[in-house]
Amino acid sequence: MATDTAVTTDVQVEAPIPDQQNRVKTVWRKLLQNRWAAVGIVIITLQVIMAVFAPLLTSYDPTAQDLSVKERPPGSEGHWLGTDEFGRDLWSRILYGARISLIVGISSVLLGLIGGVLMGLLAGYYRWLDGPFMRLMDLMFAFPGILLAMLIIAMLGTSLVNVVIAISVWSIPSCARIVRGSVLSLKNQEFVLALRSNGASDIRILFKHILPNCTAPIIVFGTMRMATAILSTSALSFLGLGAQPPTPEWGAMIAAGRDFMWTSPHMTIVPGIAIMLVVFAFNVVGDGLRDALDPNMEVR
Amino acid sequence: MPEKVLVKLENVKKHYPVRRGWLQRTSARVKAVDGVSLDLYDRETLGVVGESGCGKSTIGRTLIRLEKPTEGKLYFNGTDISELPARAMKPFRSKMQMIFQDPFASLNPRQRVGPALEEPLTIHTSLSKGEKRERVMGLLEEVGLRPDHYDRLPHEFSGGQRQRIGIARALALNPSLIVCDEPVSALDVSVQAQVLKLLRSLQEKHGLTYFFISHDLGVVRHLCDRVLIMYLGQTMELAPVRELYKNPVHPYTEALLSAIPRPVPGRKRERILLRGDLPSPADPPKGCPFHTRCPEAMEICKETRPEWKEIGPGHRVACHAR
Repeated sequence: MATDTAVTTDVQVEAPIPDQQNRVKTVWRKLLQNRWAAVGIVIITLQVIMAVFAPLLTSYDPTAQDLSVKERPPGSEGHWLGTDEFGRDLWSRILYGARISLIVGISSVLLGLIGGVLMGLLAGYYRWLDGPFMRLMDLMFAFPGILLAMLIIAMLGTSLVNVVIAISVWSIPSCARIVRGSVLSLKNQEFVLALRSNGASDIRILFKHILPNCTAPIIVFGTMRMATAILSTSALSFLGLGAQPPTPEWGAMIAAGRDFMWTSPHMTIVPGIAIMLVVFAFNVVGDGLRDALDPNMEVR
Repeated sequence: MPEKVLVKLENVKKHYPVRRGWLQRTSARVKAVDGVSLDLYDRETLGVVGESGCGKSTIGRTLIRLEKPTEGKLYFNGTDISELPARAMKPFRSKMQMIFQDPFASLNPRQRVGPALEEPLTIHTSLSKGEKRERVMGLLEEVGLRPDHYDRLPHEFSGGQRQRIGIARALALNPSLIVCDEPVSALDVSVQAQVLKLLRSLQEKHGLTYFFISHDLGVVRHLCDRVLIMYLGQTMELAPVRELYKNPVHPYTEALLSAIPRPVPGRKRERILLRGDLPSPADPPKGCPFHTRCPEAMEICKETRPEWKEIGPGHRVACHAR
């Protein structure tokens, strides 16, 4: 009877199929269309290559001193970026420094994300945890970031590992806030109610259904946070709280070059530019990602 | 005929606290459902009609224990489930399901249709992957979708198709009760008819009981066996569908019915216009909640809440004037 035709009419509506893989492709395409984001991606790619292939890109040990060639300006023979006050090759120090800033950045952001996502999920989903958790986050917000990090390092001692811990702790509150907001809007959606009426456990609902729906803001936050984390690592090392000599950390290199600002300015300028480029890159990529992941911002 | 009672509500109340101030003290209570007693018979379709904010959705959610009743008893097949903790509630969960209003919010945008439909089976049964897949394929066919829809994401479907997916999900565990929360109000009229037809055929096939929430009196008349009229969290009138449309007793029901446009030329019926706004459920009027807008309000209506009295076979009404 008419039932069959009636049933099929609205089934015939075919939509194009941008599925999960295509979604990644779409976001990538939109990201590359953004000129600044594309520049950022190039810089980050360069940094990754530098970090991974550091030993292949230089023949110098970044900590090997050679006082016979100390304080050479950029362009000197054998040392195209020059040397520092102990005759260490700046190029190799920048290369190995890229490694440190990347490792510290990624690990502190990942740790911060784990903590922040957990706090955010719990605070957003359970009303009774919301108050206490978010007040705790407010408390941490009230501290200036560097001060909080210095406090943690003062308790744990100066080392790069403790810098990672300090920066990740400091990342938790903002991440928790972002995730909490997404959870609040998601948890009353009807698909979550449907799961609850099916007797799904809270863990299943939170991790299998709510979390995958707030990945976009988490990815953007993580990227932007990389910039902050790298900058903070350098700042703490500059203050002498992070990497200790002779570790080739960019911030520490600037601090060491301070005494030679007038005689050998390249010792501060070169690592300074390195930090600036990387921080800039992560910021513009973060911005680009935010636009690319936002379905309302159609770049055509 | 003696019908089997599937769900029984005894003076069920659902109040939400309104918290204010620094200490989050409860400053008021929104009385979303305020003392509803009702029998839901096996295999019937009970339509629930009322303005928005009258508590019809809340009572639907309370019925399947998505919300815990603040007061009162809720029996499912004779078992008191009003206080059951989550674990003890689980076997009942598979027997009561819900179909939602918004087909765009009722599916996880990141989950493919197949896994979404398998999820209830994963939670409640120990079926193997292949068995679950087979069951889901059967479900897809049953609701008028194709097997190749299994691997699609929700955004690839139209509203009507999504609603079919929602229906398939509700059917997955062979429930006996399905709460339909305005399942067709977000759909085009042509698609509405198809979905309603589907709901009806599924009911016959599986012996389902529907608690059908709607504000569309036409749809209710078409689909339901009995109709419950609600106002501000309270029941106003309950009657078999023909009886209610032919012989409405409560002034509120009369007003609602008079608002249906009639396609019969020449046959005019007086339109009863209600004055004033719907009072806030946080501060409902004393006595009969409808007295502030009722054209026939008397002194007693302002003081005492009318009794939920039976005035005919299966016909109940809460009104002092009748």
